[in-house]
Amino acid sequence: MKKRGSLLADAKEVARGWRWSHRPLVPKSVELPDVEPHDFPTAWARTSVGRAARTALQAYALKPLIDYEVKPRVEGLDVLQGLRAPVIFIANHSSHLDAPLVLTSLPPAWRDQTATGAAADYFFDVWWRAAATALVFNAFPVERSGGKGRATHLAGKMLNDGWNLLVFPEGTRSKDGWVRDFRMGAARLAVEHAVPVVPVALRGTYQAMPRGAGWPAKGRRPVTVRFGRALRRRDGEAAHEFNQRMRAGLAITLSEDRTTWWDAIRNGKQDAASGPDVARWRRVWEASAPMPVARKAFPQR
Amino acid sequence: MARPGFVLEVDERTPPLLFHYGEGFRLEKLPLGSRVVYPSEPLPGVRDVDALIAHALEHPENCEPLSALLKPGMKLTIAFDDISLPLPQMKTPDIRGRVMEHVLEAAARAGVDDVKIIAALSLHRRMTPAELKRAVGERVYRSFYPESLYNHDAEDRANLTFIGETEQGEEVEINKRAAESDLIVYVNINLVAMDGGHKSVPVGLASYRSVRHHHNVHTMMHSQSYMDPPSSALHHSTVRMGKLLAEHVKIFTIETTLNNDAFGGPAGFLQKREWEWSVRDQASYLATKRFTDRAPAHVKRKVFGKMYSPYGVTGVHAGETGAVHEKTLANVHRQQLVEVDGQADVLVAGLPYVGPYNVNSIMNPILVVCEGLGYFFNMYKGKPLVRPGGVMIMFHPVANEFHQIHHPSYVDFFEEVLAETTDPSAIESKFEQQFATDPWYIHLYRNSYAYHGVHPFYMWYWAAHAMDYLGDVIFVGADRTTVSRLGFRTATTLGDALDMAAETVGSSPRVTAMKCPPLLLSDVR
Repeated sequence: MKKRGSLLADAKEVARGWRWSHRPLVPKSVELPDVEPHDFPTAWARTSVGRAARTALQAYALKPLIDYEVKPRVEGLDVLQGLRAPVIFIANHSSHLDAPLVLTSLPPAWRDQTATGAAADYFFDVWWRAAATALVFNAFPVERSGGKGRATHLAGKMLNDGWNLLVFPEGTRSKDGWVRDFRMGAARLAVEHAVPVVPVALRGTYQAMPRGAGWPAKGRRPVTVRFGRALRRRDGEAAHEFNQRMRAGLAITLSEDRTTWWDAIRNGKQDAASGPDVARWRRVWEASAPMPVARKAFPQR
Repeated sequence: MARPGFVLEVDERTPPLLFHYGEGFRLEKLPLGSRVVYPSEPLPGVRDVDALIAHALEHPENCEPLSALLKPGMKLTIAFDDISLPLPQMKTPDIRGRVMEHVLEAAARAGVDDVKIIAALSLHRRMTPAELKRAVGERVYRSFYPESLYNHDAEDRANLTFIGETEQGEEVEINKRAAESDLIVYVNINLVAMDGGHKSVPVGLASYRSVRHHHNVHTMMHSQSYMDPPSSALHHSTVRMGKLLAEHVKIFTIETTLNNDAFGGPAGFLQKREWEWSVRDQASYLATKRFTDRAPAHVKRKVFGKMYSPYGVTGVHAGETGAVHEKTLANVHRQQLVEVDGQADVLVAGLPYVGPYNVNSIMNPILVVCEGLGYFFNMYKGKPLVRPGGVMIMFHPVANEFHQIHHPSYVDFFEEVLAETTDPSAIESKFEQQFATDPWYIHLYRNSYAYHGVHPFYMWYWAAHAMDYLGDVIFVGADRTTVSRLGFRTATTLGDALDMAAETVGSSPRVTAMKCPPLLLSDVR
């Protein structure tokens, strides 16, 4: 016989089915319409009003929230001395914590001048998410599907305007906590616009808030943000070669954070950032091992 | 640009899918890997419909222009498809009325005085004055009703003319006025591939004596399917009759096709693909669900009955019946055909609130069977969506409800005939004559608004091929007692139905669902 559910039950069914709290999904077998993607406008977020709002949001909301949820340790900011905007910050990517961590770790003068590349299909799919991302992170959409130079077109324009960029060359968050291969976009941008690239090693974010988690884990997990030495394109170096060097630079910075600077530069050619070549579960197991709590350099007696 | 129909494969990303459930709706989660056949989006309607009609009349297929056929002093009969088309009813102006106005203007210019307009309803119920007015338009209605605009009467012996027999012995008997006319102009709406062609005049204006030659179990069993005229014994028969008829009377056929734009306004979510539902669509669904769950049946019927479709016209063709129908079928296929790769073990369908025989009425249990096992099952070209011996699962409440005015013989068919047997052949041989010739049913058909006494039999025959072909038929969310009388089984949920189907097709069947309406015709390869 006819089932007569309550309005609440019906609403719950629709909320679950259409993922009200998440982004809507499209079945894999559905052919997406072959239309030019629509760029969400983000220029408004870089007006003086947008900048002022963002400065306040980052300083008084985002940073306190990050400090409340995780225990960040920032190292290597000295590499920024002697650098002038624009630069490209490249970071390994395994968590939604990564962008806010890097941004809130930057000195305010650098932070105010930095824009973040965010996946167009993920962060710019609905207007409210796009607007919030653009405002808080000074984000600009990056087309992960690439094609016709769309992926880097806007980023290049912003470099020309003097903005630093924070990008994640892996293109997406790591599924197992280890660093994937780099896509070419960031290297191409750095080569075309002759800007230095600063590797930023992030450790502990995978443990604190891995892919699939909606909020950082309880217990204020330790995370580190380590800025590595800036890389510049060498004469005659092609984009793909520079891309490999960028990845090696990030691997050394990660290694430096894990071991010591000396060990890292001695073993720089051994890329431990990709993780061991073992079964997936063992890679995840190792990547999700708790980070040791940072020791104070000079413990007080 | 209208996106074509396609086959979805259900995965973990697929939201619940909407299915019609009589005068209600259900969201269902199909098993992962199930396939769902989606209709194509509505083709763009023609902007200047009047220009299209005028062009069709003056540049007909394989025939002189209409203006050349109209002469002063001639007898002109215009016949048109009845209330069973289109479904749901279209917003006014109805395309039949628009075409008729063009024909009548041409007739007036040619000095034709003797004009009759007949609703070609065959053995269907008569149309009410309001329904006639809606179909032909106010101008035509005011000019012709009631003397010259009326319903065909298949039981008025004095007004039927026997034309002859086809080479296969099929008797052709049609409306006398039409048979004696110098020209019959037939105005149709070709909603599905079954409609139109020679099925218009030789069926719409015929008597029981004539119709029985193709509306029978044998013909239906050899119409695979009757939505694919070249493979349909029903159509082969009507073509023979039409050709015979064309030797006696000149027929000028005007066929129109509509797009798939069946649901507009707040009901627009019914024809959107679920993963593309906006927040507004979700809210519309919730509001509609509330209404259909809570409102009394008669209120729901009233509301649904007033939901007129904003169809666009995709084609108008006129001239010699066969030539016209070829173009019409191409238009129907352009809108409805969806290629499907291979057959399934289980076919799932949600049956909507309206079918050809319950417009402004009630979809009684026999009509539900006709809708599901007749129309939905047969919406294929090539081979059925489900394999021989497969299972068909349908969503419909199948309430034990009948419209006492429209379907009196259905009540008796349900209570007396189905109580004895559900076998179409046995029913045909034992009961058809009795119902077809019953004076009370004939009286109600002629003077009230009742379907002919034999009509429920035809509905049952319509499903004969599916009944013979399928291994099991299960209605989900249906009235158990009623469905049991029909000879089928019920399940409370789709999951239960699939468990029951496992007895017939095994525990991991290939499941295919039809998202219909809007209409689609599966081209199964």
